[in-house]
Amino acid sequence: MRYFLQKLGQFSIVFFIVTFAVMILMRLGLNAPGDPARTLLGGTVDQELIDATTAKYRLDQNYFVQYFFWLKNIVVDQDMGRSVPLSTDVVDLIKSRAMTTILLGTYAIVWGLIIAVPLAVRQAHKRDSWFDKFGSAGSFAFVSAPAVVLAPIFTLLLIKENTITLWWPFNDYQITFGGWFPRIGEKIYPWQDLGAHFRNFFVPTLVLTLPIAAVFARLLRGDMVMTLQADFVTLASAKGVSPRRVLWVHALRNSLFSLLTSVGLQVSGIVGGAIVVEQFFDLDGMGTMLVSAILSKDLFIVQSTAAVLVFSVVIVNLIVDLLYGVLDPRIRHARALA
Amino acid sequence: MSTQIQASARDIDGPLLELEDVTTHFKTPRGVVRAVDGVSFSLDRGKALGIVGESGSGKTILSRSIMGLLPPRGTIRGGSIKFEGREIGNLDRKAMRSVWGKEMAMIFQDPMTSLNPVMKIGRQIAEPLQIHLGMTKQNALATAERLLQDVRIPEAKRRLEQYPHEMSGGMRQRVMIAIALACGPTALFADEPTTALDVTVQAQILDLLGEQRRDRNMSLVLVTHDLGVVAGHTDEIAVMYGGKLVEKASTKGLFANMKMPYTEALLNSIPKLEDRSHTRLNAIAGRPPDLVNPPKGCRFAPRCPYAVDKCVNEEPPLIATAEDPNHLYACWYPVGSEGYHEAKVRIAASKHATDALAATSAAGGN
Amino acid sequence: MTTTLAPTTAPSAPAAAPDAPTKGRRLPKWPGLGIVFAITFLGGLTFLAIFADYLSFIPYPNEKILGPNGRPGRYDWGPSWTAWFGTDGVSADVFSKCIYGARTSLQVGIFATVFGILVGGGLGMIAGYFRGWVDRVVMIFTDCLLALPALLLAIILVDRLRAQAESGGVLGWIEERWGIAFIVLTLGTLAVAPLARIVRAQTLTLREREFVLAARSLGAKPNRVIFREILPNLIPAILTVAFTGLSVLIAAEGALAFLGLGAEIGTPTWGKLIDENRNKIDEFWWATIFPCLMLFLTVLSFNIIGDRLSRRFDIRQAGV
Repeated sequence: MRYFLQKLGQFSIVFFIVTFAVMILMRLGLNAPGDPARTLLGGTVDQELIDATTAKYRLDQNYFVQYFFWLKNIVVDQDMGRSVPLSTDVVDLIKSRAMTTILLGTYAIVWGLIIAVPLAVRQAHKRDSWFDKFGSAGSFAFVSAPAVVLAPIFTLLLIKENTITLWWPFNDYQITFGGWFPRIGEKIYPWQDLGAHFRNFFVPTLVLTLPIAAVFARLLRGDMVMTLQADFVTLASAKGVSPRRVLWVHALRNSLFSLLTSVGLQVSGIVGGAIVVEQFFDLDGMGTMLVSAILSKDLFIVQSTAAVLVFSVVIVNLIVDLLYGVLDPRIRHARALA
Repeated sequence: MSTQIQASARDIDGPLLELEDVTTHFKTPRGVVRAVDGVSFSLDRGKALGIVGESGSGKTILSRSIMGLLPPRGTIRGGSIKFEGREIGNLDRKAMRSVWGKEMAMIFQDPMTSLNPVMKIGRQIAEPLQIHLGMTKQNALATAERLLQDVRIPEAKRRLEQYPHEMSGGMRQRVMIAIALACGPTALFADEPTTALDVTVQAQILDLLGEQRRDRNMSLVLVTHDLGVVAGHTDEIAVMYGGKLVEKASTKGLFANMKMPYTEALLNSIPKLEDRSHTRLNAIAGRPPDLVNPPKGCRFAPRCPYAVDKCVNEEPPLIATAEDPNHLYACWYPVGSEGYHEAKVRIAASKHATDALAATSAAGGN
Repeated sequence: MTTTLAPTTAPSAPAAAPDAPTKGRRLPKWPGLGIVFAITFLGGLTFLAIFADYLSFIPYPNEKILGPNGRPGRYDWGPSWTAWFGTDGVSADVFSKCIYGARTSLQVGIFATVFGILVGGGLGMIAGYFRGWVDRVVMIFTDCLLALPALLLAIILVDRLRAQAESGGVLGWIEERWGIAFIVLTLGTLAVAPLARIVRAQTLTLREREFVLAARSLGAKPNRVIFREILPNLIPAILTVAFTGLSVLIAAEGALAFLGLGAEIGTPTWGKLIDENRNKIDEFWWATIFPCLMLFLTVLSFNIIGDRLSRRFDIRQAGV
């Protein structure tokens, strides 16, 4: 418990520093009085409105005061500020956009694990076999394929309808493939229409998932190979335990630590990937919203969305930290003593 | 002792374990490593055999070969291994699974790394019981508790819920023994069971193993580098060198009348209690042979102080001594033979000569 | 029997030496091929990128390639002898743009990595060597850098730096001199945290090693210990992370350019090519896919080298 509180404290410090830093970054160069409000409102507006906005968000005060009131508004009134150009409250904006990004991210991590774990376990089990070699080469390739690269390639292969004409000796036989998925993703949620949701989200998810699955698979395979050489694995075999149980019960749980660490780290990577994927497939989620907000200096959108993202990253890492203890009694005990 | 599960008392005549010309070779980038090279012996039911040798002598590989625990890839196995009259040398891992833990069990060297760190002790002991004897979880855990009592672990019930890291090395080795004993195996292989333990704990563990062996009428194969360990705890001793069996006899017979200079050297290498402190240790000079290109003649010849040309060129056969048909050795000039004495005299003479030379030169220098 | 259970450390048989078969570290065969490919590809690409101006078979990226009808050929050419990678929407040669794009990507990647090594490596070394509160501050700093999604941080930084530069001043002067300065600075910042972490971890172990202890006990000053004893031993780790980091940074540069935050207008980059031509991918796939492949192969090559180094020096990067 004490360990948990300590970690919580550490992560809150990080949260506050980062959100504060984002605020300062966004306000760089807006030094003249009234500047932040003018940027916030955009276009030419009368002085009265500027003064009102300045007063409302205390934009004339120093950064600490501004930060405090921004945070207070979020916590107390669930008010994340307002985007004047989009004439919407930021809370509503995030609400309407977040689900896309959350779905994409969750799919990527869950599918990444579903693909990576069996692959890596089998690779480690059949170490140096052809299966292992192909698996390693494949995961290595996808580790090196960022979303910017995969998105066009899958567009070409799966979204575009391709016809390839084979020449001799196939007598101009034509193969047609692709065209299975819509070009532009529509935000259709699974509870609305599962089939349509699948068609719209499949390619973006694939683009996000494959590199993550590859990272997971590489880490898990490496750890698993090490674990399989441990004495206790041989002992488990010598007890007459079936190979399947040796792999999945004895070896896997002892090999999950790098994977777990990586899940925590990948969360922020996924946000980056999601920004690109949303942009590419015109799925308007938090990523696209953020990019346009940064470029148009929509201060509160950036500040609040960044806060939400940092908060999720911090929470996931906190969970990962707790899971270490769940997985390994030694860590649990060490923490209980600390 | 009290455990109900007894060794399966199938009364078949003949030895429990019969090895005939067993070879285990490994394919490596450097070439074929002949880790075990033509070993034959047999072991009777309920007896304890010590396999002794330096590291690299093939003793661990031999014990793992018998159990079939070596990784299948790159391993070439040959010869015949009969267990309770049944050929098991050619069985694959799948077929061996019903034997592992149930009829043969193994204790590893390092109790620190041999238990699963994230699994409770109770479950680790219960696992073979559930697999081989089809026990329910409750029954298996109850049996596990009794097994822990058998291996003298206090507060057995509480220990079931503990993880390996909460126990000392000696305790963990006791847990390992409990796991090995769980299904009442007829043969127990203990691979350096005491090497990683404190000296004070070593004797306790060895005594425990001996006691359990007698109670359960189980055969024990004790693999060790330490003749001192096997002396008090085995009926027979097999000495291995360079992948070959070089001497085998009853424990008494071996210590009374050892034939191989290697055995003698092994014994001499153990520091004796009555030695004055700071006595030089009698290490065996040189290194164990390269098993990719083993020496042509006797494999010990390059390090043997008594070796002559014949030893280097011709491989000695494994033969019985005149007095005891069960005492086998492989040496051209065994300890006590004429050639051995001649060699000894020769060595003494040359030593004398060097000493004298050193003395004169020292005198001349002054 | 005089020896029963005397101390069992028979010197001839070292204790705890299991003679089980220890398999040699066998590297699978393909990295051998991979490393050859990686070095050839990167070498060739670097050569072309440096000497592009002088090589006759590489047109200028803004040169219009004429179509079959003699007029500027917007997308007229697919991959062909005239234009190896085809032409894009402004009739320019895609191959040439890819090579000039490599210029940007490689420069950005390398300079950003150097920045990351200097700042991150320095911070990590100081944190690992002095420990205590210095360490705590550095760790919180890297935690903060890692908490904000990297691409998001990059977008904010590039955009803010650009905005600041518009009003002139030092930043404006820098941007005028060196168009990719801000991207280098931004991506360099991203590289700081991972490098600081691994260097810190390595320094922590190194400072307890005998030779460092010896130097310290002989009264060597921290300066001397850091630069003479610790730094040389950090090089393998830094090199390994640098190559892997290079691949990540080049990918990030691609993403930034794709989002419209790359190098200034007129400088071809892979990300920009992908972004400009992605809506025409149905008919004119070459203008998108070739830059994609270039980006992929470059990232792959740096990864292969990084992977090779990490095996060679046995450095695990799970935590980075």
